[in-house]
Amino acid sequence: MNELTIAMPKGRIFEEAYRMLIEAGFNLPEEVEMSRKLMIEIPEEQIRFILAKPMDVPVYVEHGVADIGIAGKDVLLEQQRTVHELLDLKISDCYIASAGLPNTTMNEVAPRIATKYPHIAMKYYKEMGEQVEIIELNGSIELAPMIGLADRIVDIVSTGRTLKENGLVEYERITDVSSRLIANPVSYRMKSERILDLVSRLKKCVK
Amino acid sequence: MSSIKLFEKPLGMRDTFPGIYEKLEAVRETGRSFLRARGYEFIKTPTVEYYDTVGKASAIYDASLFKLVDSQGNTLVLRPDMTTPIARVATSKLLKEKIPQRLAYFENVFRAQQTEGGRPAEFEQMGVEIIGDSSVYADAEAIVTVIELIQAFGIESFKVTIGHAGVLNTILQDYTESVEEANALRHLLVERNYVGFEEAVTAFDLPKTKSDALLQFIEEATNVLSLMDIEKYMRKNVALNYMRQLEQLLRQAGLVENVSFDFTLTSHMNYYTGMLFEVFAAGSGFPLGNGGRYDGLLKHFGATVGATGFGLRVDRLLEVMPPQEIENVTALILFEPSAYTEALQQAAILREGNRRVTMQSTVGLENVKAYKEQFQEVVYCYGQEEQL
Repeated sequence: MNELTIAMPKGRIFEEAYRMLIEAGFNLPEEVEMSRKLMIEIPEEQIRFILAKPMDVPVYVEHGVADIGIAGKDVLLEQQRTVHELLDLKISDCYIASAGLPNTTMNEVAPRIATKYPHIAMKYYKEMGEQVEIIELNGSIELAPMIGLADRIVDIVSTGRTLKENGLVEYERITDVSSRLIANPVSYRMKSERILDLVSRLKKCVK
Repeated sequence: MSSIKLFEKPLGMRDTFPGIYEKLEAVRETGRSFLRARGYEFIKTPTVEYYDTVGKASAIYDASLFKLVDSQGNTLVLRPDMTTPIARVATSKLLKEKIPQRLAYFENVFRAQQTEGGRPAEFEQMGVEIIGDSSVYADAEAIVTVIELIQAFGIESFKVTIGHAGVLNTILQDYTESVEEANALRHLLVERNYVGFEEAVTAFDLPKTKSDALLQFIEEATNVLSLMDIEKYMRKNVALNYMRQLEQLLRQAGLVENVSFDFTLTSHMNYYTGMLFEVFAAGSGFPLGNGGRYDGLLKHFGATVGATGFGLRVDRLLEVMPPQEIENVTALILFEPSAYTEALQQAAILREGNRRVTMQSTVGLENVKAYKEQFQEVVYCYGQEEQL
């Protein structure tokens, strides 16, 4: 049996996905010592987890250093990497939306959109036929409309509380987002038995 | 943009250093003698072609083409693949001389990179085209050749995944209500987005029998254990029978272990009309190559004959090939100026013994010791005086 390398995003999604794997019958230790480790070996199952930043998971998988991985649909849409999208794990459900100050319209000339997702935002407004200027930020996107940097933001929304607390309202819902199981195209063929087995077992645990 | 540094190369362009060059040549030699022994004739086409002919017909995305303008204002492209130029030259000339044609190539192709500048924008491709034969035997030959060629390079862990555009198209049309729906589903399969496929099938609000069939198909067809499993989705079985024959031929060739069938395999180009395949090998994260029947491309160039073939990426081949020993012995003749004649004679003798002989005068050398260490054998040629 070949070893399977799984790229996982650090943090909450790792824990949820790890639970799912245990539920799917994988023999994994109940408690994993996360601390600062970047790699976890599970010799019993011939599995190796690598812990990466969520945005980097598709990179590891595309290059084949991880056979499969768990990545948010937001990251997949943003990066357009060549990976197979095998299963919707339905964990960390949220969506991408545009938001802004209440009762405002977008600047007529070229509205400014602040976002962590320049590709998704550009594509969305392009398809609507709107010409916009995209401003890429790395965090605290909500600040942008509050201090007049942008007319709208495009960001991920889970409960909407952050928007509310900063006095913003949601305008358009752009796309739904959840965690997906992705695979490297070569691994998908060379280790097809293991990967398909994992998919069918996980599929039963998707709620 | 910062200014270009003196040593910089355009995005994605690479120098081939001596070590890699030798490996490339070894691949070329192995491939060339292998393919020539199977009756393939090597061919070369121009590096630059018209955008309107080869550029538009090529399967490579428009955004990946390197475009230039000639002095008459025509748009030119650096060839992004070899299949399209070969289809052009075959339909305009070669097919009139002999049919079918078995052509082979080992050439560099150009594809502009949009992401991550380090990826190669120019790389070698090796492949064959069988033009003018529409039979299943030509398709079997393409697959047998690709498998045996890969084996000739010493690669053991690899897989050829075969699909059929006709089978997939029939199923997508039969189980959806409109052409748009079928196209949307096919597009999701090009991206290999199975999650999106399932979501789309649900969103189309198809009759339950149809959506159930599609959802079951997507599970079963990605890893087909027996071609019989696909039969239940098909009303007409022409294409599937073709695949059965193909499987039978591969079985007779003893290569059935190396192939698997996946009927969700598809390409963004609609000129793939029949069977198509992809080649994967352990050791690289990217496919080694692909191939298939492309009668539609020949039709584009005005010929109604069948064509099939494959192309392998040589850069990825090098990644997955086991390391090879190619060296012959390197010898250094270190000579004093007065011993030049003797050094020439010595070199000729050593070269006859299949050594790679470097002649170097001591006058032109700064660090004799360091230079000597680069060679396996060192011969000194002193002048007359020193010898006495």
